[in-house]
This record gives sequence, C-alpha cells and structure tokens, in this order.
Amino acid sequence: MKIAPWAVAAVVVAADAYLCVKNPQDLDRLLINAMLALSAFATLHARLLSLASAGFAAIGAYASAIFTIKLGLPVYLSIPAAVLACAAVALVIGLPVLRLKDVYLAICTLGFGEIVRVSIILLPGLTGGATGANLSTGFAYEAMKKTQAWSLALALAFLCYLFWSASRSKTGRALRAIRENPEAAETMGIDVVAYKNMAFLASACIAGLAGAFYAHSIGSLDNGDFKFNRAVDILGYAVFGGSGQWFGPILGAGFLTALPILLRDGLGSSIGFLKDFAQLPNILNGLALMLVIVFAPGGIAALFVRRGERRATGPAKAMKLDALDVLAFAAVGSAARDSAARGLSAGGPGTFLSLSGVGRSFGGVLALSELSFDMEEGRIYGLIGPNGAGKTTLINLVSGLLPPSAGKIEWLGREIQGRKAHRIARSGIARTYQNIQLFGEMSVLENVVVGHHARIRSGLLAAWLRLPSMLREEAEARREALGLLGRLGLSGLAGMEAAKLSYGDQRRVEIARALALQPRLLLLDEPAAGMNEIETAALGDFIVDLKRHGVAILVVEHHMDLIMAACDEIVVLNFGRKIAQGSPAAVSRDETVLEAYLGRE
Amino acid sequence: MDLSLLADPVFLAQNLVDGLSRGALYGVYAMGFTLIFGVLDILNLAHAATFMWCAFVGWLIMAAGGAPLPLGLVAAMIAGAAIALMLEFVAFRPLRREGADKLSSMISSIGASLIMVSVAEAVFGVQTRRFPNSVLNPKPFFIGGAGGVRISRAQILILAASVLLMVALGLFIRKSRMGKAIRAVAASQKAARLLGIDVNSVIVVTFLVGGALAGAAGILVALLTNNIVPGMGNQIELRGLAVVILGGMGNIEGAVVGGFLLGLVETLTIAYVPGGSDIKDAIAFLILFIILLVKPNGIMGRGKADRA
Repeated sequence: MKIAPWAVAAVVVAADAYLCVKNPQDLDRLLINAMLALSAFATLHARLLSLASAGFAAIGAYASAIFTIKLGLPVYLSIPAAVLACAAVALVIGLPVLRLKDVYLAICTLGFGEIVRVSIILLPGLTGGATGANLSTGFAYEAMKKTQAWSLALALAFLCYLFWSASRSKTGRALRAIRENPEAAETMGIDVVAYKNMAFLASACIAGLAGAFYAHSIGSLDNGDFKFNRAVDILGYAVFGGSGQWFGPILGAGFLTALPILLRDGLGSSIGFLKDFAQLPNILNGLALMLVIVFAPGGIAALFVRRGERRATGPAKAMKLDALDVLAFAAVGSAARDSAARGLSAGGPGTFLSLSGVGRSFGGVLALSELSFDMEEGRIYGLIGPNGAGKTTLINLVSGLLPPSAGKIEWLGREIQGRKAHRIARSGIARTYQNIQLFGEMSVLENVVVGHHARIRSGLLAAWLRLPSMLREEAEARREALGLLGRLGLSGLAGMEAAKLSYGDQRRVEIARALALQPRLLLLDEPAAGMNEIETAALGDFIVDLKRHGVAILVVEHHMDLIMAACDEIVVLNFGRKIAQGSPAAVSRDETVLEAYLGRE
Repeated sequence: MDLSLLADPVFLAQNLVDGLSRGALYGVYAMGFTLIFGVLDILNLAHAATFMWCAFVGWLIMAAGGAPLPLGLVAAMIAGAAIALMLEFVAFRPLRREGADKLSSMISSIGASLIMVSVAEAVFGVQTRRFPNSVLNPKPFFIGGAGGVRISRAQILILAASVLLMVALGLFIRKSRMGKAIRAVAASQKAARLLGIDVNSVIVVTFLVGGALAGAAGILVALLTNNIVPGMGNQIELRGLAVVILGGMGNIEGAVVGGFLLGLVETLTIAYVPGGSDIKDAIAFLILFIILLVKPNGIMGRGKADRA
C-alpha cells in the first residue's frame, strides 16, 4: 500500500472536518459539491466534456421547488420528480448532440446553461423570475431542514456505492475502454454512442439530485446560483480529483471547497488582502484546472493506481499448450459453432463473407475499387500487396469502421455495409490493428475481458445488486481470458499494464482480445509485425490451429513465409484493385503479381 | 407582430444599420476564434476573456491616458496578440508537448479564462466603466434628415474597421507566404512538418492574429455599448460560438457571414417580435442547436464537423 495518496486523502478529510465543525452550514455545501463533482465525473469518465452540470442542477433545484410549493408534493417525492425532469431534458438534448464530435457537446452544454438561466428569468410565474423563488416559508422546508445533512450524506453514500459497483462490472469496463480508445471499444462490440448517452443521462440525473437538495438546503433560489462560473467550478472538482476513478471527484470537491476558506481563515490575519479577496476561490480553481491538466492529468485519484506492476520474469513467452489452455481455446471454436447453430447464417451456403464491387474513396482518391471476392467458412485467406494497395482499408470496411462508398458486403447472408462496427463485431467478426490499439492503461487481462462484453449478460442492475449470476459471469470471463492469454504465452503478463508490454507481446494481446469475442471470422492486420522469426513461425502454427477450431481468418501480412505456410488462398491487391487470387503456389507464379512486387524487368 | 412597423421603411433601415454593425462585431470576434480552431482543432474558450481584457486596455489608454481612438484600437490589438501568445505558451503548448487530447486543451483554456476574468474583477471591480464624450462624440449622423436613419460615429467606425480587418485577414490567409503555411498546418500538421514548415511558429502567428482580432472586437464592442465590465465576455462568448457553428467550424468566410446573419436576426427579432428583447439572449443558442442538428458543417458546408 502506498502512503502518499492516503496522506492526501487524510489531509482533505481533516480540512473538511475542520471546516464543518467551525461552520456546520458548510457540511451541506460540501456534500452538494461532492455530488455535483460526481455528475461531472460521469461525463468526463466517458470522455465527454460537458459543462451542463450547473444547468441540470438549476433544473433540479427549480423543479423540486416548484413541485413542493405549487403542487404541494412532499419533499421525498418532489426530489425524485425533479430528477426525472432532468432525465427528460437530458434525453432531448443529448440524443441528437452526442452523435457529433465531442467538441460540439462542449459548445452545446455551454449554451445549455445559459438557456436554462434565461428560461428561469422568463418564467417569473413559476420560478420567481429574476428575483428568485423562496421555499423557506413552506412546511416542506422546515421538515427538510432538520434532516438535511444526514439525508444528503446518505444519498451521496448511495451514489458512491452505485459508482463503485458499476466500476466493477461490464459497464465500468466498457466505459474505461471507451475512455482509452473509443474506436477499438466499438470494434470489440461496445455500443459507444449508447454508453455515452447513458453517461450523459447519469450526469444530468445526479446534477438534478444535487440541485434539488440545494433548493431544500438553502430554502431560496436565485438564477445567479447556477451561472457559468459554477459549471467551471464543478468541472474543476472532477478534473482536479481525477476522472479515472469514481472517488477522485469527491476528493477534488473536498479539497477545492476547503482550500480557499482555509487560506482565508488561516492566512487572512497575516496577509491582509486575502481577508476579503472574493475572487480567491475562482482563481485557485482556475489554477487547479490548468496545473492538473498539464502536470498530473490523472488528478489526485491517479496517485492511488498501481501501474505497471507484476512484471513476469523468465522467458514464459513460448506459445505452448497446457491442459487449461486447451479447454479455454476449445471454447472459442465451440462458440463459433454455437453461433452458427443459433442461426446467424440465415442465408444459404456459400455466403459466409462475400464482397461484390466494393469501393472506397477518400476525397476523390480511390483506395479500393470494384473489389469482389468470397470467403468460405473455416479457411485462411492471405491479403497481400504493396504499401498503399488498400489492404487496411478493406479490413476497415469489413469491420465496419468505414462505410464503403460503393458495392455491398454480405456476411452470413445479410448485407452489412454501413452497419455500425459494434453490431458487426457482435455478429462474429473480430479484428486486430496494424497500429496497435490496446486499452493502454488497462491490464492485459482486462483488455481481453473487454472482448467478453457482448457475451456478459448481467447489466447495470445486476452489477448494482451484485447478483451471484453477475459475479459468476465475471469470474468465468476472467478464467476464460486467462486461458486465452496462456494459449498465447502471455500468462505471466496478465496483471501488467498493456502499454508497458513489448511490441510483439502487445500484438499477441490484441489477438487474444479479438478471440475473446469468439469470432467466426478473424481479421488480422499485420499480426507478425515486430515479431522475430521464431515468434512468426509460432504465430503461423497458431493461426492454422485456430482454423481447425472453425475460425475463418483473413490475414494481411508482409512476412511471405507466414502467408505461404498458413494460407489456403491468397488475394493480391495493387492500387486498390484485385490483381490476382488463388492458391499460394499459383499466386507466387503469377506474372502480374511478380510485376507489382518486383517491377517490370 | 406589430404590422404598422413593417410598413415603416425608415424603421427597417434603422434596424438594418444597427444589425449590420452589431453583426460586424460578431464577425471580427468569431474570425479570430474560428482561425485558432481551424489551425489547432481546439476550442480556445479563453477567447472571450482575451476580448474583455482588451476592452479594458483600450479604455485605460483612451479614457484614463487620453490617447486618440486609432491608438486605442492598435493598443487593444497588440494587447490581444500578447495575451493570446501567453495563452499559447501557458495553456496550450505544454499540452501539445505531452501529446494530450483536445479535451485537455479545452479544459486548460477554461481554467485560463476563469483566472483572467477573476483577476479583472479583482483589479477593476465590478462597476461599469465608460468612455468620456471626449473620446467618442455621441452625437449621431442622420441619413435623410432629422427623422431619418440614425448612425452613430461608433457604428461608422465599427463598420469601417471590421470590413478592413475582414479584407486584411482574407488577403493574409490567401496571398501571403505565412497564410499559405497556416492553411497547410490547418489541413495537416504532420504533412506540413514533413514539408519543412515550422509548425510551432505558424501556431504562434495564428495565436497572434487571433488574439489581435479578439482585441479589435473588444475595443469596438466597448465603443458601441460604452459598457465595460469584467463579465462582458459572457455576452459574446455564446454568440461567438453560434457564429462559428453557423459558418462552419474553422471557416473564416463563414464566420463573417455568420456574424452578420446573427447580428441581423437578433436586431430584427428585438424590433419586430413582441417580447423580443427578452429572448434575444436565447436566439444564439437556438441557432446553434438547430444548425448542429440540421447542418453541423455550417451553412457554407465547409466546416470541420464530421459526424462521429
């Protein structure tokens, strides 16, 4: 256990305790800030920059005030109702905007806060307009005030539990994967847009909850309570505390709420101007944002994370089979057969994968044109050609990362061109990347478990309830993933941070991760790059072995030994066109191919 | 809608003049903003704070220091360039060196903006600063006699200066050697570097130009509204975003067109729609939201927004 992070946490807690003892009113503020920080965390953690938390807090606060004052709802109903109102608004705003690049979400949420504020002023009948709403005369306020602090603390503790349990489930893993590499997450069968929507929705609900508590804690509302600076404060808590772990923003809120007050109280007597330096909290917040982003992007919480540990010693890298590994490995093949039996192949025989007239252009440059060829189940296809021939483009088209500009791709009897990558992955096509796309800060084991995403059925609710079925599924996924790692000679590296691995090992982790999807078709983009001859030969044996288990493979490779030894059929591309197709022997004698590779004599 | 007003040509002409001068300011502000986005692909959310500081610098020089107007404009532009340069070195370059993502740059610029506004509040207080009459003769001109269209000296200055800046920036980007380099870096930093372009110095120039435009917008807005406060950046920030989205992110001509459009729409709404002045702050957001939904690349169709 490391000392430094716990010392930091202890200091934050001590500072906040001092604050609350000195002025009990600050406890409410502290807890509400922590809640708002969690709301910002929910979006930041999913790689969304949203400044909407203050706006949603305003909606939550005013909605719950209106429900209490105008409709006479008891507090324990008006607060949940306010949260629902926030959820509804978040869906209306989020659904369209989250489909755009993330910079637009930032812009939209910036405007959102302003529109909420303007609406509050424009609806004086409901909100008290520019002068504000007053709850303090109502019965609800009196009843609420007595229970405020502990009910708030309870709500915050409950939220913490939800975040903690979610982070230890498929949901948390998917969000971490999205955070590290959205493209790779998508091709591992994760619906990135849906998860981002979920994060935005969660953030809105939590902000609304914080706002509703704020309304009942203060007893009066003013549109200025939720202006833009507040949105920046909230972002500051989450960034400073760290957006990698759920407890980060709580530490961040604790620290940044206490710091300016302690500075003023502590140093105010000796340094006179600090005493009424109203801008101090804002300036400290701004500094905290800039310094943390530049010097410690992970925030306080990153101190707690153990990185790059448990390095395996000794040459445990040979690809050998042992009993457990064979078991796990057999599972890949049987799953492939299972998915066939489930009737995914609605079409007739012969339409395993079929490309007809497929083309793709980038701004007028044709990367691929008029490409047609069929793949049969359980065979290995080599895809070769000079650099720039369109090989990786083809893999991107089949895996759904790019839509083709012409032609159609049929997979198991259905046209899949233009279908989202995560759906294609779920239907049984997995891939690796030429430029390795691992989830670098996650462990090797966790990388592979991401591949189980589509198969783990327990959702968020099961994770929150920590159902035995969910725990079993998680354990099972880990066991299988360990088996796969063993099969690829990576057992000793399971606990390592993926980014710390050597190039060749990272390639093998990518293959293990792809196999964890239990694909029927595996697309390998230069899997042997960075491997030595022995490793390459072992990889060739491994691929052939995969074929025996029923997995079809399309491999792009420059190591001709591997291609010649492993492939049943070879497709040769040049300048985006197919120039030859056939058995390794036939292709190696082909005049056009020799010309493309060696030039005309 | 008040139909009698529609039939009044002088009223319409008056609103067009007001709308165009307002739009010219949005255009100047948005040009700098969109230029920095176009080249670096990051949102500089401290642009509005730069704008505000330049308004104060112009005010200090002219109202307190007694400098003439052209000098004030130049000083504000120099201040803007200097502040933007500082932002590049403090808030953006360290992140670029670390290879951080665009989210980090945005967050860093938000932090910088918060500090800049807070320091301005601490230094200048929250009371409104105004120009004395010696700086800007408040007596307007009338086109078409005493009952005709009123145009203030500030508006004439704004229209002249804005058009001049727009033309100058256009020529700079299109014709000059540095302009070509800027366009190359905007298209692809990697390719530009391979071609021997010093990318960092191109980025520095981009910030200098973008900051100078924020400075010009700052002082011109100050002259038009004669209302200089540390929070004045908030008023234009959202409008600036709406304008660059309208014109297409990174598209300079689009920023000019979008600026004039927003200025006209706002002014005409206030004039012709009952209760229009209450909703004028919401117009920018509505435009922003609708354009994002319908045409995320902007009305000129050449922005950088690809659907994810």
